[in-house]
Amino acid sequence: MNEVVQLLTLMIPAMVPFLLAAQGTILSGRAGVFNVSQEGLMVLGAAVGFLVSFKLGSNTLGLLAALAIGGLFGLILAYTTTLLRLDQFVVGLALYFAALGLASLLYRAVIGVTLEPPLIPTLDSYPIPILSKIPVVGEILFDHDLVVYFTLLLSFALYWFMYRTSAGMRFRSVGENPKAADSVGINVVRIRMWAGVTGAALMAMAGAYLPMVYTGTFTEGMVGGRGWLVIALAFLGGWRPQLVVAGAAFFAGMEVLALRSQVAGIDIPHQFIAMLPYVATLVVMIFAFRWARQPQFLGLNYDRESRMVG
Amino acid sequence: MTDTTLRTDTAPPQLASRHRAVGLAWTTLPYLVSVVLAFMVGALVIVALGHDPILAFQSALTTSFSTPYGFTQTLQKWVTICLCALAFTIPLATGKFNIGAEGQLLVGATGGVAVGILASDLPMFILLPCVLIAGILAGAAWAGIAAFLMVRFRVNEILSTVLLNFIAFQVIDYVASNVWPHRGAGHPETIPVGDGARLPGIGNPPFHSGVILTVLICVGVAVWMRRSSTGFEMRAVGANLRASLVHGVRTSRMAGAGLVIGGGLAGLAGAIEVAGVHGNMLEGMQSNFLILGIIVGLMARGSIVAVPFVAFGIAVLEIGASSMQRTAGVPIEVVLIIEALILIFLLLSTVVRDRFGSAA
Repeated sequence: MNEVVQLLTLMIPAMVPFLLAAQGTILSGRAGVFNVSQEGLMVLGAAVGFLVSFKLGSNTLGLLAALAIGGLFGLILAYTTTLLRLDQFVVGLALYFAALGLASLLYRAVIGVTLEPPLIPTLDSYPIPILSKIPVVGEILFDHDLVVYFTLLLSFALYWFMYRTSAGMRFRSVGENPKAADSVGINVVRIRMWAGVTGAALMAMAGAYLPMVYTGTFTEGMVGGRGWLVIALAFLGGWRPQLVVAGAAFFAGMEVLALRSQVAGIDIPHQFIAMLPYVATLVVMIFAFRWARQPQFLGLNYDRESRMVG
Repeated sequence: MTDTTLRTDTAPPQLASRHRAVGLAWTTLPYLVSVVLAFMVGALVIVALGHDPILAFQSALTTSFSTPYGFTQTLQKWVTICLCALAFTIPLATGKFNIGAEGQLLVGATGGVAVGILASDLPMFILLPCVLIAGILAGAAWAGIAAFLMVRFRVNEILSTVLLNFIAFQVIDYVASNVWPHRGAGHPETIPVGDGARLPGIGNPPFHSGVILTVLICVGVAVWMRRSSTGFEMRAVGANLRASLVHGVRTSRMAGAGLVIGGGLAGLAGAIEVAGVHGNMLEGMQSNFLILGIIVGLMARGSIVAVPFVAFGIAVLEIGASSMQRTAGVPIEVVLIIEALILIFLLLSTVVRDRFGSAA
């Protein structure tokens, strides 16, 4: 029992990078902007978040800086795809490379090569009064750092926005049928620009969370494919902010279990345990693509002059 | 969806040769402008880091040509980059993105090294072809998983190929540290393959004969994609899915075949790395070939003919990058940023050409 509680408590922070980046992916995707540079943006967010926190001594500023740099990359993606109508995947991949290069370059330029890695303090946890006193549940859910609460609230807010407000319906219509949206006076370009910028900002923030909660330092391999898993997560959750929470719990659970079984010394070569999340994702994708729906105009650019309907 | 990347011919065939020359110039001009612009931005970055951009670019661009050793290194690097770029470009012709060249390369290397170790006593004329074919088959099978999931279950190929990369990392780690470990190497790597599995060297200083093989493959693939009916059907699927479906092309099978062929070439790249460069398989041998392959494929805009030439340019830059770090103190990452910038400027040039160049 104690063991289970401990695993679940570890799982909640492990969910955050997946969930934040997945909500970013969904926010962009529901408006039709398919960002495929998650992995790069998370590495860049981790580097920028770490460096700013290290130099200015504030993790909050680090997170904000990551949001800003992510937003900048999102702006490039949104501008080149909505207004210049370049291919979304191609621009996304180009931004992925640029973000990877920029991340290591920034780290190299600011820190250089050191024997001992520079460290930043990890985020403090803020137990929520009263709620955190609930046995078991309180311990698992309400005794974490602020980013955890922010992520969970954001997930709820996005769900509320997309499915419970008329603005959200207009927002989704841009990703489903931009021509119809345009014909009723919705500004497709403006919505896609905002979606691209905020989505990418969240992805970079997801990356910045990694050095602030796990290692306290930045390494190039620290994102380790999470960015790609996030795309799988978005498909798996049917591009719905509420379902993706469950998906993120699944990925985080895998990660925690893989770590734990390594520590426990189970008699399986550790490589097979390490490949488990990826294998499981592949298997789950088989079913996900059967039932999960995706926005009709996901990854497709809208040209109001075009006579093609869709 | 991929019309911007697949536009290979700017001049219609009925144009006379004079016009063809103009057309060629019109195709190469954006490359020149993009390269110059990217290097200018790169120079600003280098100045901002407090280094000398002239010295940096000099060593980045001339290392390949100033020493014979640098040139053979460039040729060998070109082989792998070029094959990985083809692994990306062939599926791209059908409108699919293969982001898994890295995993396919590693699994191909595993296949090659397995044959090279298990049958190490065989003479070269039997063993070497077997090693290379094992690499091709292993890479093709690895990509085949993604192709199967795509054709049968409509699983997005970007996702499946990427996820298979991460599985491949663990597979080769297991093979290198548990199956045929080279004890005392201090790094996961396998024991060396038999002498018969090594690609013979050519020239002085020698470069491995995989270079010749790759030239032949480039020519073969280009001819096949342009002249064979299968190649035509593949390009048709990418150019207009609906039209090719209407005309009886088995579209999803073509798309799957593109992935498998691409995977085979990436697997061959892995086997050549084993047989020609390392002599065994080691962790980290995938280097950054995935990224370089995609960059080359995108820069070539899906043109199979352009791939080897663009790949050579990138190989020169990559070999120059490390010497740039040594002589000018400029971090190697600057080169990746310059490459990404060339790509972005090249993409933007399409917009410029479409808006202002339609008269020419």
